[in-house]
Amino acid sequence: MTPRALMFEVAMRALYPLLLAASLWLLLRGHNAPGGGFVGGLVAVSASAAYAIAFGARRARLRMPLGPPALAAAGVLMALASGLPAALLGLPFLTHLWTTLPLGVVDLPLSTVMLFDLGVYCCVWAAVGGYCLELLGAQEHNT
Amino acid sequence: MIGPAVAATGELAPATPSARRLLGYAALPLTLFAALVAALASVPLPWSVHAAWVPSLGVDLAFHVDGLAAQMLLLICGVGSLVFIYAAGYLAGTPRGGRALLLLSLFLLAMIGAVSADNLLLLFVFWELTSVLSFLLVGFSHEQEKSRKSAQQALLVTGGGGLFLLAGFLLLGDLANTWSIRELIAAAPHLVDEPLLPLALGLVFVGTFTKSAQFPFHFWLPNAMAAPTPVSAYLHSATMVKLGIYLLARLDPAFGQLLLWDVVLVAVGSITALWGALHTLRERDLKRILAWSTVASLGTLTMLVGLPNPAAALAVASFLFAHALYKAPLFFVVGNLDHGAGTRSIDHLTGMRRYMPWTAAAAALAALSMAGLPLSFGFVAKDVITAAKAEAELVALAGHAAVIVGAVSVAVAAVASLHVFWGRDNASRDAHPHEAPWTMLLPPLALALLGLLFGIMPATVDPLLAQAAQAMAPELGAVTVEASYDAAPVLTALALTLLFGGAIYAFWDGLHRTLERASWLDAYGPAAWYQRKLQALSHIAAWHTRLLQHGLLDRYLLTVLAVVTAVALLALFLSAGRWQWPAAQGVSLPLAAAGAIAVAGALATLRARDRFVLLLASGLVGYGCAALFLFAGAPDLAFTQFAVETVFVVVAAAVLPEIRGRRAAAPALPPPARIEPLKLLVAVAFGTTLSLFLLRAAGLPFDTALSEFFGANSVPVAHGHNVVNVIIVDFRALDTLGEIAVVAFALLAASPLFKLARVGRGGTP
Repeated sequence: MTPRALMFEVAMRALYPLLLAASLWLLLRGHNAPGGGFVGGLVAVSASAAYAIAFGARRARLRMPLGPPALAAAGVLMALASGLPAALLGLPFLTHLWTTLPLGVVDLPLSTVMLFDLGVYCCVWAAVGGYCLELLGAQEHNT
Repeated sequence: MIGPAVAATGELAPATPSARRLLGYAALPLTLFAALVAALASVPLPWSVHAAWVPSLGVDLAFHVDGLAAQMLLLICGVGSLVFIYAAGYLAGTPRGGRALLLLSLFLLAMIGAVSADNLLLLFVFWELTSVLSFLLVGFSHEQEKSRKSAQQALLVTGGGGLFLLAGFLLLGDLANTWSIRELIAAAPHLVDEPLLPLALGLVFVGTFTKSAQFPFHFWLPNAMAAPTPVSAYLHSATMVKLGIYLLARLDPAFGQLLLWDVVLVAVGSITALWGALHTLRERDLKRILAWSTVASLGTLTMLVGLPNPAAALAVASFLFAHALYKAPLFFVVGNLDHGAGTRSIDHLTGMRRYMPWTAAAAALAALSMAGLPLSFGFVAKDVITAAKAEAELVALAGHAAVIVGAVSVAVAAVASLHVFWGRDNASRDAHPHEAPWTMLLPPLALALLGLLFGIMPATVDPLLAQAAQAMAPELGAVTVEASYDAAPVLTALALTLLFGGAIYAFWDGLHRTLERASWLDAYGPAAWYQRKLQALSHIAAWHTRLLQHGLLDRYLLTVLAVVTAVALLALFLSAGRWQWPAAQGVSLPLAAAGAIAVAGALATLRARDRFVLLLASGLVGYGCAALFLFAGAPDLAFTQFAVETVFVVVAAAVLPEIRGRRAAAPALPPPARIEPLKLLVAVAFGTTLSLFLLRAAGLPFDTALSEFFGANSVPVAHGHNVVNVIIVDFRALDTLGEIAVVAFALLAASPLFKLARVGRGGTP
């Protein structure tokens, strides 16, 4: 094992959820302000990479919702699925549909776009993150 | 796409399936065969189906079944049914037996598509599918190097020939201005004077000759005998190798009157027939003997297609049928011998009748037909062939070839039945021979009996053969096999071939020894040429891999940048346009600061000696650029750049010690940074070229149509204020879907490499 950096580990415990929250926030605001699935996914990657440097690639991989290949595949499938409702309605594939969910005080707009962007987010996080974790993990095995 | 799918399904099936389980696959050809026979009995030919597929390219799902196609369909489904039953017995207990039957099923469907397609490009798709499936089936026993080599050879020859065929189809389609085969045939009289027609036909010839194993492309067929026996009987005797003949016959009404067509087909067919007959005598392996005699038969068929008189069409149809009815059972017989006695060498096979009576019966019946003895369908076919040749003014070569091939067929038939089954049992064998199970006896017996039945009552198949012949030669009118009966010349020819054949059989061993000594045949034949070319190819590949793939990162970068610079400069100077210095704008302080950071980072990389510092300095360039984007009004781009740069620097920094550690023997510090003149030159040239590009771009008027469209439609259509994101997830969502799929695939492609690296270092995979 590489020598442990205690301060970094302690900081990462708190930073990891914060970074993920930030990445989700980027994902959600993306439609109207700078952000989106790609950037959000990349921020999530940086969270995973930092976590791996602190605790090892294996533990970082375990903290992802699915294994990287499965998560990447799930992302692509989510993006694919977001286009299907339109296709079923006879519209061109990937025409996004919108609806609003009344919540009493405010109306929450919902769309298949969200599923699509979530797919992009998951795919980028899993694919780029998986790649980085493999690189970082390779180092662990050697020492 | 087929490969992985088949691999996946193959893994799902049990590893060593039982015969009963494999018999289930036979339901497909049996159902198709029953449907086909019922349809032939009730619906008059021709049948047509048409559906648009890629209308913009003129590629339609157009199918047209006439007499010729119907005959092929009967062979494909009828022989197919028996092959599937046989394969169930033959492959029972063989690892991955289910995969072979699955591949055979796919092959069956591809063949049906190929012979019923009425669109040149559609036909080509099915044609190549059969080549690919043949590759997978020949390489079924992929643990053996011989199998792998034969499979590769079959694919390279037939698949490569397929590309020639595609080129020929494209030319033909362009000349005739249609992709429909029927329209092409109708338009053919107007194409005669086209200067490109000989080229188009030449390309089609290469395609069909590779597929149907014509000289000089024939050598893949005997080697393809590495496949399991049912595969050989089905693909490499009854159906796939006939596909080339089928296409030639299909195009015969269009080009049959051309001298080029007749000369090439008769010459190549005759040479192939002779070459095949000659090599038949050089073999001791019964399966290879049959393969070479198949080559000879295919040559005869090609020659018959080339004969200009309409009566030859009937001969093609009859011989196509007869050949399938006697050659497939003989292959089955060889499979039974291999299975029951453990050898295919005729040196070790004599008197097998005592152990395998039913197989012996099937062999005898099939041999009757192959030798063309009276009361067999082979006799009928031989009769029609003799009649066709008598009518045509034959070149001497073709005439002699036919006689010799006929004689060799008689000899092969005698070897396969008399020598193997009826001789004295004095050969030394290891295993005690035993008879095959019913699944492996029914197919050869059924086919051989059918051959006899049709021989006694040719009227049963007459309408079908006549219709097939008319598809090849529309001017033929109503003919019947019986009508062309003329006893005297037929019996003379029969006597001649029997006499010669008997002589060859009697002196088989002596002939074999003589021919085996003729080693120049091996040294200079087309097979040797193929071998040399294949080796040359791998030498060239090795040479240019050594040249280009040196594994030095800086050289790769140097090559890429130099090539990009050269191409870009060429494009710049070839294109018309004007240079324009961008109008002076007030540069804001943040922009200038961002630029300065990037430049400082770039300069620092020149001076840095430590890899860590180098990494950070290059990261600085990225951050500088990101800041530049941010202040130039592209916050999304800036965010992405920041994130990418951060992840890269962090991961690279974590991995760097690893690289250092592995070069423990190297000095702790890399050598002092030196500026190499060549690299400096390329770097400066690259930078200058990019700047020139910008100057040129500034001289072009800026088209605002797209940005105006997105600006105007982003909120009302896509409900989003962030135009960049709206483009990514909505307007161009399909592109994004493709991109993330590529990103996911990149991970999948990289993970085996990582796994390999882990194993290499002794870590846990």
